[in-house]
Amino acid sequence: MWIQSTMVTYGPHAGVIETLSWVMFTGALLIFLLVMVLATLAIFAPDRMRGWMTGRNFIIGLGIVFPVVTLTALLVWGLTISRTLVTVENPALRIEVIGERWWWRVHYVDAEGQIRLVSANEIKIPTGRPIEFVLKTQDVIHSFWVPSLAGKLDMIPGRVNVTRFSAERPGIYRGQCAEYCGAQHALMAFYVVALTPDEFETWYAREATPPAEPVIPLLVRGKVLFRENGCGACHTVRGTSAGGLIGPDLTYVGARLSIAAGTYPTNVGTLAGWISSAQHLKPDNLMPSFGNLQGEELRAIAAYLESLK
Amino acid sequence: MPNPAPRPEGELEELKRIWEPPKGIHFLSAVNNNYVGVWYVGTAFLFFVLAGALALIMRTQLAQPELRLIGHELYNQLFTMHGTIMMFLFAVPVVEALSVFLLPNMQAARDLPFPRLSAYAFWAYFFGGLAFFCSLFFGLAPNGGWFMYPPLTSYIYSPGINADFWLLGIGFIEISAIAGAIEIIVGVLKTRAPGQSLDKLPVYSWAMLVFALMVIVAFPAIIAATLLLELERAFHWPFFIAEKGGDPLLWQHLFWFFGHPEVYVIFLPAAGMVSMIVPAMAQTPLVGYRLVVLAVIGTGFLSFGLWVHHMFTTGLPQLSLSFFSAASMAVSIPSGIQVFAWIATIASGKVQNKTPTYFILGFLFIFVIGGLTGVMVAMVPFDWQAHDTYFIVAHFHYVLIGGMVFPMFAAFYYWAPTASQRPLSETLGKWAFWLIFIGVNVTFFTMHITGLMGMPRRTYTYIAEMGWGPFNLISTFGAYTIGAGVLVFLIDLAKNFRPYQGDLGNLWNAGTLEWLPSGNYQTRSIPVITSREPLWDQPNLSDDVEAGRYYLPGAQTGGRETIVTSPIDARPQYVLQIPGPSWRTVFAAFFTAAFFIGLTIKLYTPAFVCGVLAVVFVIWWLWDSDPGPAEVGEIEIGGGLKLPTYTTGPMNHSWWAMIILMIVAGMVFGCIVFSYFFLWTISPRTWPLSAAALPAIWWPIGAAALFVASSLLVWLAGRKLSLVPERSAWPTRIALVLAVPLFIGGIALEVLGQLETGLRPSESGYGAVVYTLASYQGFLVAVLAIMGLYTVVRSLAGCLNRVRRSTFDNTQLFWHYGVAQGLVALLIIHAFPRLLG
Amino acid sequence: MRLLLQDLEKRSCSLGIAILLMLSACSDNMGPVEQRVVGGDVERGRRIIAAIECGACHTIPGIQGAHGIVGPPLTDFAERKFIGGVVPNEPTILVRWVQDAPSVAPHTGMPDLGLSDDEARHVAAYLYTLR
Repeated sequence: MWIQSTMVTYGPHAGVIETLSWVMFTGALLIFLLVMVLATLAIFAPDRMRGWMTGRNFIIGLGIVFPVVTLTALLVWGLTISRTLVTVENPALRIEVIGERWWWRVHYVDAEGQIRLVSANEIKIPTGRPIEFVLKTQDVIHSFWVPSLAGKLDMIPGRVNVTRFSAERPGIYRGQCAEYCGAQHALMAFYVVALTPDEFETWYAREATPPAEPVIPLLVRGKVLFRENGCGACHTVRGTSAGGLIGPDLTYVGARLSIAAGTYPTNVGTLAGWISSAQHLKPDNLMPSFGNLQGEELRAIAAYLESLK
Repeated sequence: MPNPAPRPEGELEELKRIWEPPKGIHFLSAVNNNYVGVWYVGTAFLFFVLAGALALIMRTQLAQPELRLIGHELYNQLFTMHGTIMMFLFAVPVVEALSVFLLPNMQAARDLPFPRLSAYAFWAYFFGGLAFFCSLFFGLAPNGGWFMYPPLTSYIYSPGINADFWLLGIGFIEISAIAGAIEIIVGVLKTRAPGQSLDKLPVYSWAMLVFALMVIVAFPAIIAATLLLELERAFHWPFFIAEKGGDPLLWQHLFWFFGHPEVYVIFLPAAGMVSMIVPAMAQTPLVGYRLVVLAVIGTGFLSFGLWVHHMFTTGLPQLSLSFFSAASMAVSIPSGIQVFAWIATIASGKVQNKTPTYFILGFLFIFVIGGLTGVMVAMVPFDWQAHDTYFIVAHFHYVLIGGMVFPMFAAFYYWAPTASQRPLSETLGKWAFWLIFIGVNVTFFTMHITGLMGMPRRTYTYIAEMGWGPFNLISTFGAYTIGAGVLVFLIDLAKNFRPYQGDLGNLWNAGTLEWLPSGNYQTRSIPVITSREPLWDQPNLSDDVEAGRYYLPGAQTGGRETIVTSPIDARPQYVLQIPGPSWRTVFAAFFTAAFFIGLTIKLYTPAFVCGVLAVVFVIWWLWDSDPGPAEVGEIEIGGGLKLPTYTTGPMNHSWWAMIILMIVAGMVFGCIVFSYFFLWTISPRTWPLSAAALPAIWWPIGAAALFVASSLLVWLAGRKLSLVPERSAWPTRIALVLAVPLFIGGIALEVLGQLETGLRPSESGYGAVVYTLASYQGFLVAVLAIMGLYTVVRSLAGCLNRVRRSTFDNTQLFWHYGVAQGLVALLIIHAFPRLLG
Repeated sequence: MRLLLQDLEKRSCSLGIAILLMLSACSDNMGPVEQRVVGGDVERGRRIIAAIECGACHTIPGIQGAHGIVGPPLTDFAERKFIGGVVPNEPTILVRWVQDAPSVAPHTGMPDLGLSDDEARHVAAYLYTLR
């Protein structure tokens, strides 16, 4: 329930903002109470107690001097701490995230900018080290936001925005598109999964290899049907003939937490439901509903995808 | 006393007859401010209720996670329409509407200086707004959000006509808002009670003056922006398409350069109303009048330096973010000054326990919270988290409902007795207050939490696992409570509000002029003012005004008239003859609206016909507007003071309007020029790399020569007009007629020169902006051609001579402006790339 | 705060179910004996259904977001005579069906969901509250 909260934070970036928030909430509460007390006095207090409130000095003191002092202090402090948010440390990893309607394309890139690994709707990162996120979009404006780790940054056509942040400890953090991007803006989420550096290395090495060939007959059938139904025109499963680039990469889709961009948990049931009624579950997304499949065929494809982990 | 009483027999009856509104169905052709003002407020409030109903549908959809009451298509249209209607069809119109009603009353003018213009603005808004709303019923309502960010709203991702409804509808309604603003500026500066110098001007008038000036400066930006986006949608001119040298952020800069001042455009008039109501309810003058006026002016200036705070998450450089962060905080200071001035005023008097007081105190409570969260989101790092979440939704509803809706209700309860025989009910009013006050806090305070829990705005649903369900349910409950409060108010209105049957008088014992006894002609005679609260400080004022002892107790020109005063110290300058009821403005507005709707739904032929009809009706309406000196000659308004009934030049009210119109035109031009330089910084590669890629230098030189020649001819026409009617009017006519083709020829040369190089508007951002500069110039040329020929026709009709020459003077002013703008455009297009190369 | 809310949520749900049971008691004395799932916990069943999102395929009353159109709607499930139009609607068969439908009906599109025996019993118990 708190995996997408700005006030329960797990990274230094979001943590600094959380501190700032609490300071401002407290200050705002005090100022609000002050104004309300003054207004109450102005209305109800006996004349002798409100005489001091009736002159210009009252207005100048509280309306000019007081805000100038408090706001200047807040601004100076705020600018100081926002400087600490700009990480200068070398990033452990560079990840390109590309906003799509309505999902997230994820590229792990090396120092030369070569794509080393492709994923979608889920970003695995090692803990404790700053990660550089290179934010782009293929179509309209999106905004990349993982509240419990950092503030948001827009993805704007023709521009590349870069942000760096880190996760303090292993865990699952949810992110969501924050800039209205059309029909299914509401269902455009993703997960950031922070692993210990060791776990991350293991995962990364395994993810770089293509998935194992299926052996169980149902899964073998599923793989064949996946190809025969043309899924590969839009989706990629590394190591197979499926090399489409329009939709999310499905190489290890079974290992991801969610399908349909953070909308459903990944399991064989939701995969089957999604394949046969994608347009009902997330109307106007680019994937058609495959209503033409036989029951066993649907199960086979769903089971095959679920086995990719 | 300037005039002796008792007044001659029949004088009052004559005044009444002249100002009597038309009867039967013809009452719709009324133009004076008491009528138009009430309709205007009523229509704006109708849109408030409609947009509120849309919000209730949305709140019902969000009451539980993953509900499927309405789909994403309708939801996305609803939030777009809710925001758009509340901002463009409710908030701005309602403050303009209230001022149409209140300003002449407060300044003891018989009417606004251009009653037909405000009638036109109202009817255009009425027809256009309703047609815009009806797009919802056909599933054609815009769905790109109220700030319509491209590329989502451009032709690739929004191929339907939904977005066009927004662009043409809103662009058009903004024209109506600007018309209203021109009216207000001239009204505040030129039609005041004698003696009501700037330091005695009611704070409300000050606020409306600053409001209108802000509209003049800010709204052209949205007009320019909608123009560019519509050109991109209709003709694929790529202003916002990155691959072709456009930039989506150009829209955001233009939109927020309008959009941020918009918030203060809404708030300042409301604050002005509060500054009127608080002293009356506390029965004591406003404490810190000068500070409050300075705060109002300061807000106006500062509000133009904040627009980037809507763009903190777009990845702009840290330094510019810091600047805008500081400016955003600074703007809270003038608001603070006003808040403490009101508290000080309350403390120095004794507030009455009445409904307006309740709404004022509710306003203080809610607005202060909105202001404090405003300071939070001005902090850049905090905004990185809060931006585009429900925290922001909560923040701006606190600001706008607190800062504008509560003062509006206070104003309704406070000023209803000036329009209605019966006041609104205290009991129902307090019920409405408590329901709305509790509802607003329940709905929107909760949204702060929902937002901090990570819920983005503009989402039609959310998954159950996020835990936002209970908070959304509370908000939905609160929203229905607000709805119930508004319903109570509507019942009160239906039971008690009876306009046009006389008024109740000074119910609150207030001190300002709108509480003088009045009829449709406003006050019987126009008082001389020696104080800010004349009804408190000038004994017997009401009786003397009513007895006709002050200025202009009758209607000496035989028609509607009011006194025009000097802008600073309000000395009477002349008596303005005001036009009366007319259907022409109604039809002009109807056809203007039909023209824009026709364009939107792609019925080009009917649209064109309506466009022509609109121009015809506008010209017909204008025909009466330059009446020349009245037959009676100079008028003695009282106390031996003789005033002319006609003037020209800087003393004339229409001269002021023309200057303001030139500022508007200049701002639109400025925004296009900004786009030119902005796109150049983004993609200089699309700019001509050498002079060879530009049209040969003779093209712009030729165009400039023709522009200047046309200006010289118009100047010559003016010289010759000074000799009419003693000498022939033909030299004037011939010079004007010749000037038109020269001007057209100039702009044609510019376009031909560009076409010659092979540049096309759809190929790059550069091409698009160059042709836009030319097209905008072409539009001005077309307008000026009509104005020039209209002036010639006036001359042929014998309505133009060396005395009666306002029509010519205005055409001439605008002509020279148009030529100057054309020369600047040529300089930018042809010299800037050469300087680079 | 969080605990309080969870508690509230729990209470409102159990309240809802209590009302549901009371209503059904009026009409049909608590549902027939033959539909009682031994060891099935209605509330846990509801949570499992929500967590694995059976709603991606089925419309299920009482489950937020369960608007699926792939399989049959489970409205009035307790009244149904057949499961999936194939086998009689009896608790033992239902438990097996929600675990591994293809083992009961080879042509079904409903996958083997891999539920444990306990989980399947809870799910079945919830489904029998739908009447």
